[in-house]
Amino acid sequence: MALAQVERLTFSYPDGDRPALSDVSFRVEAGEIVALLGPSGSGKSTLLRALAGLVPHFHGGRFEGRVEVAGRDTRRFRPADLADEVASVFQDPEDQIVFGRVENEVAFALENLGTPPTEIWPRVHGALADAGIARLAERRTETLSAGELQRVCLAAVLAIGPSLLLLDEPTSQLDPDGAEAILDLACELGSAVVVSEQRPTLPLERCDRVLFVEDGRLLLDAPRDEALARLDSAYLPRSPAIPGAAEGAGELLVSVESASYSYGSVRALDAASLELRRGEIVALTGRNGVGKTTLAKLVAGLLEPETGSVERHGSVCYLAQDPGRYLVTERAEREASLAVGGDLVRARAALARVGLAGLERRHPRDLSSGERERLALASVLVAEPDVLVLDEPTRGVDPPRKSELADILRAESANRATLIVTHDLVFAGDVVDRVVQLESRELARA
Amino acid sequence: MSPVPAAALLAALAAVALIAERGWVVAAIAVGLLAACLRAPRGRRWIYLTGTLVSALSVFVLSPLVAHVGTHVIWEGPKVPVLGYLDVTSEELSAAGIQALRLAAVGLAFAAYALLLDLDRLLQAAGFARRSVLAVGLATRLVPTLERDAAGFVEALRGRGVHVDGIRGHARLLSPVLSGSLERALSLAESMEARGFGRAGRTRAPGPPWTRLDRLALAAAVLLCVGAVWL
Repeated sequence: MALAQVERLTFSYPDGDRPALSDVSFRVEAGEIVALLGPSGSGKSTLLRALAGLVPHFHGGRFEGRVEVAGRDTRRFRPADLADEVASVFQDPEDQIVFGRVENEVAFALENLGTPPTEIWPRVHGALADAGIARLAERRTETLSAGELQRVCLAAVLAIGPSLLLLDEPTSQLDPDGAEAILDLACELGSAVVVSEQRPTLPLERCDRVLFVEDGRLLLDAPRDEALARLDSAYLPRSPAIPGAAEGAGELLVSVESASYSYGSVRALDAASLELRRGEIVALTGRNGVGKTTLAKLVAGLLEPETGSVERHGSVCYLAQDPGRYLVTERAEREASLAVGGDLVRARAALARVGLAGLERRHPRDLSSGERERLALASVLVAEPDVLVLDEPTRGVDPPRKSELADILRAESANRATLIVTHDLVFAGDVVDRVVQLESRELARA
Repeated sequence: MSPVPAAALLAALAAVALIAERGWVVAAIAVGLLAACLRAPRGRRWIYLTGTLVSALSVFVLSPLVAHVGTHVIWEGPKVPVLGYLDVTSEELSAAGIQALRLAAVGLAFAAYALLLDLDRLLQAAGFARRSVLAVGLATRLVPTLERDAAGFVEALRGRGVHVDGIRGHARLLSPVLSGSLERALSLAESMEARGFGRAGRTRAPGPPWTRLDRLALAAAVLLCVGAVWL
């Protein structure tokens, strides 16, 4: 008998004008690793929520068909009643943290599930050790980086030891080594795992089976080898094509010399140096917590170095991580016009450049997550800056859209210097001229 | 100190500050709590201390203008509709000082609770009304989360060359910050339900045993409450 069984599932959100899932059927066997792929907004997250019972119990909406996990019909059992069999890690770790201390966060689910008190702390510390973050047990959650928080969320579900583990882009904020370690850990747990990822290489290397969803329909349900032969090339595993280290020959726009910066008593960046020239696209890579975002903010002028110097020649724009969260106006065109003093003509042209023509009057919160990201990109491109700094621009972006983003950046690269902070080495290989790797809080040019 | 006796002590100090008739008692409590709050990291404490100071100053400045007590006039103001003469007497000033101190002491007690107590352990210790305690804990953490979100918005706009200045500039951020916090709250609720929150038969992770200091703090809290009528 299958561990999870989805039969002819059709689901619409209460405010949805079309089904988020249409006539979806598949099975997950015990211990099976399943990669769930598809474009942004295709229904992957909804499908994971259906397996956890959150659809329809938490979200409401119209639910047809049947989902059964470990013999329990999710229409009759609430998500909390399924929590001993099904565990979920969602996209944004900051939205999942309940407690102020790491070990309490990991203990939360165990307490809810009625674990005997004497077993709770040993299981908590075991899960923290398995996730490689035993040292963080006593730390305050608000002091952790996004990558560390993602590991805390994973430890919280490892402690439960579920039969079915649902991972919704669990590595989106992790460096390649960290992402690999997290997926290995999840796959070695012995549970069935359904993992949705926008960097498909790692899950495709580990999975037994592939599901591909588009427009709410399950277009592919096949064993890995068969799926690799049928998948769109954008989703196939690729090795990153890392370019050389040769600096561009254009006009020098930014020069960072031995810059250091601390947040309170925590040293974030030590003696980092970097030059950016007009016409080049540079990737800034490195492990989580090494200071990439701090260096990017120094380049953008959002921070000033404590020691060392930063010289900027020309205008600089910075696009933060998760930029779709930071939209402030009530119309897309107004949002895009903020950086050009309300010039709606330039704003509409910028929206058209990122494929948002026709959506100018939509409220930013009514746009899909992918569209919000593109609106945020248009909101910086509109200013036509001499230096453009993008912090993790491909987080949560599907492979075809990454290609579109690469095309946009390449098309305008001659006019400016572009710095991209990224963990996505495949994307970096596609778009950049030079990769700079930040290591051990010192800069080493690759 | 364990969070339960610490919370009891803070609650007792706030209660005494509200009840006590002697001004020096209220002032001593406010100063003691301020000293405790200053132990918190500067980045976290400023919003609580500023809020408390502004509230207390507002009471001190405004209440003499609207009250009509005492005969020793030290300033004669104009007559305004509804309120009458805006005179200030020494009796009104004295009463306003006490009220401002009371408000400051209660505000500082809350600040110390939010800044210094391990709210997680307080929640663990709650043997009853756990949902309410969890709600209070989450609401307490909402302040720094909102602050962080607001800073994110300001930074995102600065990144586009748009500077956020003045009350109007910051007011423009109010709606997106609040909408963002609602979205965050929904995601958190979803995550809690997926982790079994609300399921029957929950247990509690054992907390550390109480120390002598914890027992002393609890005794002090009880004594303060009992003795408040004489202070």
